[in-house]
Amino acid sequence: MKTKDMLNDKTIVGSPVKHLVVLAVVLFAFWFLLSGKVDFKFLLYGALTAIISAWICVPLLLMPNADGTKKYFIFDVNLGKYALYWLWLLKEVVNANIDVVKATVKSEMVINPRVIAFRIKYDNPMAYTTLANSITLTPGTVTMNVTEDGLYEIHALTDGAAEGLLGGGMQQKVADLFGEPFIYEVVEEGEVQ
Amino acid sequence: MSLAINEIIAVVLLVASLFFFLASAIGLLRLPDFYTRLHASGNSETLGLMLACLGLVIYEGPNLLSVKMVIVFLLVFLANPIGTHILAKAALKSGHPVWTLKDKEEE
Repeated sequence: MKTKDMLNDKTIVGSPVKHLVVLAVVLFAFWFLLSGKVDFKFLLYGALTAIISAWICVPLLLMPNADGTKKYFIFDVNLGKYALYWLWLLKEVVNANIDVVKATVKSEMVINPRVIAFRIKYDNPMAYTTLANSITLTPGTVTMNVTEDGLYEIHALTDGAAEGLLGGGMQQKVADLFGEPFIYEVVEEGEVQ
Repeated sequence: MSLAINEIIAVVLLVASLFFFLASAIGLLRLPDFYTRLHASGNSETLGLMLACLGLVIYEGPNLLSVKMVIVFLLVFLANPIGTHILAKAALKSGHPVWTLKDKEEE
């Protein structure tokens, strides 16, 4: 899809022009941080590069939802909420890390590896990705598979990690982050192969 | 010769990160099967790297190099779970059996 067509596409969530500007600003900020130069000439080159790259790349960063009726821009998130979510995730990662180290370093390992599953319904594909990434990032749980209809198969190392995840706290946080309804159910053992 | 306060904090954080890398290596050797070993690698790639980066940022002070180290850390934080997930998914698709406590009793 060309960017010109994209600007008139009504299936995109949010304003396409705003998405273009956001991408250009992100790219320019990245250029500025990596170059560290404040001369006018370099800033001008950076701004031009960022705008041209954003113009070419912005259609690639659109993700259609499962039934193809809407397209989401992947950077279309509330930055404040996103930062809070990452801080919360960092705290979870630290706690889970300490648990996993305790479980594996003891002379008798306290592990109970198994596959757990749950089903969740989001509309935004970025919500699925964020949840799968967060689960894998937390030590003690690894996302093994995510299907089209939102079935997550997770490999859990310890009892604590499995119960913590099935409690649904993380799923709720991701739903809040993307402004999605929270439709969640635990799939019992034996229902999945 | 005395150490500056930021150097002391940096050394403490680096040693703490080494501990998590070591725990990760121990877990990798001790755990029974492929999937459980993926969890052990998670120790070093999250908290180990986080502490190491934090230590280096504190050693370096607030300048552009610190910002770049934070960017590297964020990149690893985003990209590493994808690698772990792809490994787990490939193992699942190829039918690798999942080790459980029942297997331990049979041994």
